Amino acid sequence: MKKIRLILFGVFTLCCLIAWSMPTFAKEKTVAFLSLSDFTGPIAGLAVDIEKACEDYFTYINENGGVDGVKIRYIPIDTRYDVARAISGYKRYRKTNKLLVANAVSTPIGKALEPLFNRDKLVWLVAADGEFVAHPKRGFLWGNCYQDGFSAALDWMAADWKSKGNSGMPTVGYMGWDSAYGRELLRGGKEYAEKIGVNLLKPEYFPTGTMDHSTYLTRLKNANYIWVGGIDPNPTNVIRDAHRLGMTKTIQFVCGYWGPAQYLGVRLHNKALQGTVVTVFTIRGTDAQKHPLIKKMWLKYRKKPINELPGPYGIGLGWALHFEAALRIALKDVGYKKLDGEAMFQAYQKLGGRDITQGIQGICTYGPNERRASKVVRFYQVKGKELVPISGWVKAPDSISLHKF
Amino acid sequence: MRPCGVFDETYEKDIAIVRTRGHWLLLIGSLLFLFILPLFAPYYLLNLTNNIFITVIVVLGLQIVTGCCGQISFGQPAFMAVGAFFSAVLTTKFGISFWIALPLSGIAAGLVGLIGGAPSLRIKGFYLAMGTIAIFYLTMWVITHLHITGGHQGLSVESPSIGSFVFDTDERIYYIILIITIILTFFARNLLRSRVGRVFVAIRDNDLAAEVMGVNTFYYKLLAFFISCFYAGIGGSLFCHWYTVVNSEQYTLIHGLNFIGMIIVGGLGSIPGVFFGVIFLRLLDELVLFGSPFLTELIPKLGIAPAASLGVMVFGLVLIIFLIFQPRGLAHTWEILKTSYRIYPYKN
Amino acid sequence: MVDFMQFAINGILVGGLYALVGVSIVLVFKATQVVSLAHGQLLAFGALFFWIFLDQLNFPVWVALLGTISLAALMGFITERFTIRPLIGESLFTAFLMTFSVFMFLDGFFQLYLSGQSRAYSPFLPEGTFNLSGVIISKGLLSSFTIAMLIFAALFAFFKFTRTGLQMRATSENHILAQSAGIGVKKVFTLIWIISSAVVAIGGIACANVMDIHYPLPYIGIKGLIVAMFGGLESIGGALLAGILLGLIENLSSGYLDGPLGGGVKDAAAYVILLLILIVKPYGLFGLKKIERI
Repeated sequence: MKKIRLILFGVFTLCCLIAWSMPTFAKEKTVAFLSLSDFTGPIAGLAVDIEKACEDYFTYINENGGVDGVKIRYIPIDTRYDVARAISGYKRYRKTNKLLVANAVSTPIGKALEPLFNRDKLVWLVAADGEFVAHPKRGFLWGNCYQDGFSAALDWMAADWKSKGNSGMPTVGYMGWDSAYGRELLRGGKEYAEKIGVNLLKPEYFPTGTMDHSTYLTRLKNANYIWVGGIDPNPTNVIRDAHRLGMTKTIQFVCGYWGPAQYLGVRLHNKALQGTVVTVFTIRGTDAQKHPLIKKMWLKYRKKPINELPGPYGIGLGWALHFEAALRIALKDVGYKKLDGEAMFQAYQKLGGRDITQGIQGICTYGPNERRASKVVRFYQVKGKELVPISGWVKAPDSISLHKF
Repeated sequence: MRPCGVFDETYEKDIAIVRTRGHWLLLIGSLLFLFILPLFAPYYLLNLTNNIFITVIVVLGLQIVTGCCGQISFGQPAFMAVGAFFSAVLTTKFGISFWIALPLSGIAAGLVGLIGGAPSLRIKGFYLAMGTIAIFYLTMWVITHLHITGGHQGLSVESPSIGSFVFDTDERIYYIILIITIILTFFARNLLRSRVGRVFVAIRDNDLAAEVMGVNTFYYKLLAFFISCFYAGIGGSLFCHWYTVVNSEQYTLIHGLNFIGMIIVGGLGSIPGVFFGVIFLRLLDELVLFGSPFLTELIPKLGIAPAASLGVMVFGLVLIIFLIFQPRGLAHTWEILKTSYRIYPYKN
Repeated sequence: MVDFMQFAINGILVGGLYALVGVSIVLVFKATQVVSLAHGQLLAFGALFFWIFLDQLNFPVWVALLGTISLAALMGFITERFTIRPLIGESLFTAFLMTFSVFMFLDGFFQLYLSGQSRAYSPFLPEGTFNLSGVIISKGLLSSFTIAMLIFAALFAFFKFTRTGLQMRATSENHILAQSAGIGVKKVFTLIWIISSAVVAIGGIACANVMDIHYPLPYIGIKGLIVAMFGGLESIGGALLAGILLGLIENLSSGYLDGPLGGGVKDAAAYVILLLILIVKPYGLFGLKKIERI
């Protein structure tokens, strides 16, 4: 026992020293944006590019004098999809000067931190979980929710099925991660399929690091369309496995916005992925390469050719643009001194009805009871070595109301 | 810590945990310090302390089964999860108070631990280690595919409360965690001084010899597993009521590997070693989290802030260094320091 | 029936790759009695080296393969020399923990290098499929399976017919006896680590060709461990059989049990098998039962 207390004593002295040496950022007028992301784990394949975009836009704002003289401090944290790490990371930065928005880049992290965020009266962003739309609190979605995207894809499938001269409704297979995220889409998506009469096969859930997906695909071989969930490289791998089984010839594969990344799916494995449809709430592929803001940011800060633009770059710009717009409103309403999470929360609710993202996403729909950033999606298709648009903005059906959360 | 020339005169004195008046003073002083810590500690430090104490509880359990009894277990996070989910289900679905759910969740985890320990009848060493990895995955699979646990979605739980006093902030829950840590540390410390503890060490050193001496090794191995998982369950339950949320993805195999790392760094088989190991590696983790932005500025090629992978790398490196240069861990270094102090001015 | 054949054939083809990873762990254990977790990382780095040679430096496949094998062998050598060698005389358990530490250390580098992005080979194996009355076999998987089998044949021949192979077998029987017969045990240790790293690197290339290089690649090493324990830690043939069986069981269980049990059975099945093996036949299918003395 005597050893223990001495050790404890020593350690607490050390802890105190560390705590006291923590830097304070109070000299400049700053506000903070915290992103609990994943740079080395399962969703890093796309999350890193999104974070880069967000960082680039904030750098751009700060270089041009900030938002009404207020600089934005962007704090990325590498959680490796680990909830415990995210919580400790959040607590580490919780008391940062004027922390207004926290971003939870993972379904489980969002769910785990929700009570904390709400207690701290922050605005927080979360990918696309329908639960937060059904029970609106302080969490805002990046775009529309997973369910809506899936339902919009179901609509697209039904229309595509008819346009190919078939009668009735297509048979649709669903594949997703064996995790909370993988199961989220069907909470509402399933009900929507029943509503429009699409024959949805029994969903298949696979473990994240699966090497060979042939068993799942074999069971879905009677489907006309297969939705492939998971986060790249998973969808790419699944479709490659399907290609190896010769299924891509007869079955149309559809992915969500976590689908094939530019480098891997669209370019390297383009033979296998040819014709795959991607449902996104931002512009992507060739559209994104032509967009002036995306082009400017990418060329200015990443200094790589525009055709290397990673798919989800626009999502990160979306975060940053929404943040900037809300910050402007909040500064006008309460001024810098009184600026806090609550003011920001009010400001986020006022964003609706405007085109905040300069066309990267649809018209903003945030409102007092609405947590979706937009209610439209676009469809893209892998053609050659590019992702090309096959539709304009399409209104996504509301499937949240169909499910009891 | 005694200077040269102080001896124990009676047997009671020799076996006492707290030996001299100075010890008592220090013990009371440091406990007092721990109890008033929330009054002046910065917010983040308290969060870290809570985290460290809960980890200490879990690693104490691991120390008993792995460090003392020699049965290596990577499955500790799964037993934490069992405790956490059991407690969450009891409090949210059945309305049972946290104070009853806490020991029950420890016992539930302990019972699951008996299943985890069952293979130790026939196997040991790395065979058993692989067995516990299997147990880990199977337990997590069952938890995520049960309905009552909320499956992959997890559950959100209430903070513990007495009457109308709710332990909902870090400062408040700190006291619960602190008191339980002190009790469990004391229990573990005394257990290892008892007959049971000595049997554990005998099994670790040579289980065959222990069996020949008439020890029912299987019974004691299972007992070690039970106690270890009881600790894990308590830790898990505290964890979930502190975070007020429980989710299967909080408990990954990486944590199990980390716990093993902690007892290697601290020193196998030593209770103070648990504190050394946990605190050392936790602070190292904080240091990496703290330092990685600066490192990224130095080497922009590293990307945004690779704290997690740097953390793993540093963790591995520290383990390699310890295994080669100080396989008996920090606890051994501490013993050496103490001995040098005691026999000063002579050298050992 | 067609479904069953499809599950089985894919299982066997993937199982061949598992076997390759498993046998590299068996090799190390045979000679040094150390169970290595580090092989998961050697596998991942092998796959990564091959990608660098093939897609970054645009070398021809053969050059890339040779380069990968030599780099992987170097890594195996370094691992043995600087982490396992200092532990000679310590308990085997410490060595096991050391390989685990090496795994974590290298994992940091691997993840840092990837920084979340996946890497994929430009196609270097034949593509396309055979169709055997409804059962579809991928040429790519088949050719990596064939490569795996060729390596197994080479390993069998090496241990059976060469002098070094004989020395290794002798060492695995008894270190002290082998040393007194004039075999350089330390040299054998080094050599076996080099060979096993080369084998696992090839396994890594084959796996990465199927699933691309991304963050879970090192964890195939755990599958390899399961294979090694399943087949018996001393038996090369056992690893071959166990690998194929594991692939088969994984696919069949996932094929027929996913529905009733609600998904995710594939991973769970492997661990159920492992647990059953450990309880029923602790030393694996073909492992040697050790008689302990006090």
